[in-house]
Amino acid sequence: MQTFPEGIHPDPSGIPSLSDIARLALMVGRSMLEWGANARSVHDAISNVSLGLGCDSSEAFCQHAAIIVMLRRGEEGCAQMGKVGEHGVNLRRMQMLQEITFQVRQGRISYSETLSEIESIPKNAKSYPLWFVCAATGMACSAFGRLLNSDWNSLLPIMIGAAAGQWMRHVLVQRGYNVFLIAGVVSFSSSSLTVIGAKIAGSNTIQLAMVSAVLLLIPGVPVLNAQIDVIEGKPNLAVARALRITFLLLFMALGLSLARSIFL
Amino acid sequence: MTAMGNPLFWKITHQAFFGGIAAAGFGVLFNCPPRILGLCFGSGALALAVRTFAQGHGMSLPAASFFAALALAIVDSTWQMAQSPRGSVIAVVGCIAMVPGSLAAKALMGFIALVSTKQGIDETLLSTTLVNLLMTTFTLIAIGVGLCVPVLLYPRRREP
Repeated sequence: MQTFPEGIHPDPSGIPSLSDIARLALMVGRSMLEWGANARSVHDAISNVSLGLGCDSSEAFCQHAAIIVMLRRGEEGCAQMGKVGEHGVNLRRMQMLQEITFQVRQGRISYSETLSEIESIPKNAKSYPLWFVCAATGMACSAFGRLLNSDWNSLLPIMIGAAAGQWMRHVLVQRGYNVFLIAGVVSFSSSSLTVIGAKIAGSNTIQLAMVSAVLLLIPGVPVLNAQIDVIEGKPNLAVARALRITFLLLFMALGLSLARSIFL
Repeated sequence: MTAMGNPLFWKITHQAFFGGIAAAGFGVLFNCPPRILGLCFGSGALALAVRTFAQGHGMSLPAASFFAALALAIVDSTWQMAQSPRGSVIAVVGCIAMVPGSLAAKALMGFIALVSTKQGIDETLLSTTLVNLLMTTFTLIAIGVGLCVPVLLYPRRREP
């Protein structure tokens, strides 16, 4: 008879099998990676779920495109591997998932409740309206413009160029295009719009404005995650992240260079 | 000289304000909950204020970025201890405003210009590009190390 740690409520349908827990742990790990977590957070979340559901130990091995989970419970052992999709950033979903894993760790929710709560995150986690995201991105890029000492005349063109770029990125992502291709297209479009606008507005810092308008493409969270992963001893994942970041930046620079050669 | 008459004070105020806007904007892009968008603004403002202050006192961009990231990570760790043991996104969003994206873009555009030229190597462009690349690399490392220091120095808190 499997004994649960104090506070754990056994699933009404019976004790979850180790294989089911491993599948759940993989779902947690995969979602965390896809929503922008670093390896430490992924390991913590997997550990919380596995130990909270009665496992004696859990090990996770994160790669960029896959996760391996190994669980132990008494004499039983189970290893499973799952694929990871495209890495993005959705901090609200990530926080909701972390909250659920903490609840599992404290034994406040059962296996079946955990499963249904995790599955309902994409439906329950609210998102900002697209127009608001585009406006906020435009404002962020124009603020970057000021940080880089671009003049006040270029502020509105940067905002419009970046907001249009964000809208275009959203549409292209929804249609399933390749992320690197999207980076190149968005970079070219945003910088082109900005340079035209900056010329009309009489800006003297057109080059800075062009660069500022494409900063929405800088993969800031993956950059920081790669740093944290390498420092905390997860070089494989960090190298894969760094390679993708480099390619993303390269496509961004290609789009920017093309726009510069046409419009300047 | 009073603080208001000090050009560095206005520079810090300017950078902190726009750093805050950049961080809050990216907070929206990353779908941060509305209740922490103000904190995103505050974290971006703090990061840029510390970095500008440090640069104003003669520090290089990587060194200033390190201290800014460290300050943010310390504040974030303290905040987490006071509020909840959950993982925080504030430090990460705050540091986004310090990621040297423009330097990285300039470095890569420099490389593209170097390989597309038909008239030998432009040494000035090459040196500028290399400096931009090195500055980007060291600044990113500095931010990453600064963010990790509290986690590395203090034992990780585990839920019971």
